[in-house]
Amino acid sequence: MPKKKASKERVLSGVHFMLGNYATVEGAISAGCNYFAGYPITPANEISERMSQRLPQVGGKFVQGEDELCSVFSLAGAALAGGKVMTATASAGYNYMQEGLGYCYAIEAPMVIVDVQRTRGDNFASQADVYQMRYGASGDYEAIVVCPSSVQELYDYTIWAFNLAEEYRNPVIVMSETTIALMRERLDIPTADKIELYDRRYTKKTPDEYHPFEALANQCPEAAPIGEGYHTIYSLNPHDEYGNIDWDPIVFDNLYKRVTGKITENADKICRTESYMMDDADYAIVTYGSEFRPSIDAVETARKEGIKLGVLKLCNVWPVPENAICEVAGNVKKIFSVEMNLGKYVREIERASKNKCEVVSVTKNRGFVHTTDEIMTEIRKGVL
Amino acid sequence: MKYPLRISLCGFGGQGIVLSAVILGTAAVTKGNKYVVQTQSYGSEARGGQCQSELIIDEKPINSPIAEKKNVLIALFQDAYEKYIPALEEDGILVIDPDLVTNIVRPVETTFELPATQIAVDIGNRMTANMVVLGFLSECLGIINKDDLLEVVKDNVADRFKEINTKAVEAGIEYAKEHNMYHRS
Repeated sequence: MPKKKASKERVLSGVHFMLGNYATVEGAISAGCNYFAGYPITPANEISERMSQRLPQVGGKFVQGEDELCSVFSLAGAALAGGKVMTATASAGYNYMQEGLGYCYAIEAPMVIVDVQRTRGDNFASQADVYQMRYGASGDYEAIVVCPSSVQELYDYTIWAFNLAEEYRNPVIVMSETTIALMRERLDIPTADKIELYDRRYTKKTPDEYHPFEALANQCPEAAPIGEGYHTIYSLNPHDEYGNIDWDPIVFDNLYKRVTGKITENADKICRTESYMMDDADYAIVTYGSEFRPSIDAVETARKEGIKLGVLKLCNVWPVPENAICEVAGNVKKIFSVEMNLGKYVREIERASKNKCEVVSVTKNRGFVHTTDEIMTEIRKGVL
Repeated sequence: MKYPLRISLCGFGGQGIVLSAVILGTAAVTKGNKYVVQTQSYGSEARGGQCQSELIIDEKPINSPIAEKKNVLIALFQDAYEKYIPALEEDGILVIDPDLVTNIVRPVETTFELPATQIAVDIGNRMTANMVVLGFLSECLGIINKDDLLEVVKDNVADRFKEINTKAVEAGIEYAKEHNMYHRS
């Protein structure tokens, strides 16, 4: 994959005190985003607002879509035209995007979608979209979902999301939520030469030699420049390596296995986790997003009480970091799955644990991230 | 200062509560090299309705963004004061505008009465009461250096309001000096 450094003109290097939604935008601008389309919704509006100011400054285009569906479909066109593209919405708006998103998975359009999760009907924090982000659209596809836990990570992970989108030619979801999106926090933006970007892999073949959907089983196809004779049909329907629509079951099979295989077979390369105090841990919290923050404080409290607790932070939830979870399950007596919903991702943690230890679901859906005390109450009960 | 500082600023929408928290946080991060988490809650009204902003300021990275107990409460409105006073620690610091918080439901030993709104009216713009508060906090509690604060204030307000806001910060500082209101820990 061709690599390059970020462009100096796009990177606001230095120490900032910045709103999470703004940090998401700065991550995108640093990553080379040059097209944004979105429809207003709280608590994601500050992303559109800042994008409308920042993109024209760097030669990009900002479009306010007539709705979410229009926005995501326009990303498909802009992405195929060579753009690095993004949209942002919040839970209910993410619902509306699913038809377009399904098309983008099928045609393998690289893009970044930010879902600033909220509770139904209001602006409170939630992680209840964790399955919607994986299974929202119809058909067979694999999602990549990264989970920042701070304003700094909103910046860092948005760059990561753009790189993953380019590397695998797949939509990548940034799982944001009210807690971090509407929080202001210290943000250290590095110099441009410290930011590595992955560029799209373009074909070196002539239009006659080029097969738009030809790729090895675990890879995405090479892209071709638009307007230079590489005529391609980008269809949701089953298509062969030439892009021809074909209803032959073998074509179905080959296409869907490759589109999912390029993610599943590279899951170990994609997945990132971070371990805190896990070396001697008897108990582990496995968590993601902003719930990581009170979990870290819970470790400090627990250790003072003589409970050897550690944390496995999932930097991405899809694909599931199965190996890391399984390894933890083999080393501890119990896993506490901490999330801001009524118990969703705990099912993946249980599955990946392969019955090596008990998994306890610690849940909350009251509009706010867990407090450290709330987590500790469950930990104390669980270690009795 | 003893860290972590857990500050709550509350009042009604339109008093500039969130802006004052943003300025304080910006000064602490960009001038004081501190770590800060700032959050806010407010009603959907553009004016009126309760408004609160929380800041956690620390010398190290901040994990949990929720501080259930605060060590500083600044209240510029009776209803907001009553809502947020239970979260103030027993030995916490309370700063109130005595013209707008008139019924003290829980006496706090370290209480400072700062008539921020009247001071702002006297210098010519009621809307700058939030800047009077920031100046006062800088002098009374030493949360932030005066020059750093003035620089950040200028960066965060429109050109035509720079002068009046600077004047308001200085008025807050002067009030603390004149009345010998200091609490430095």
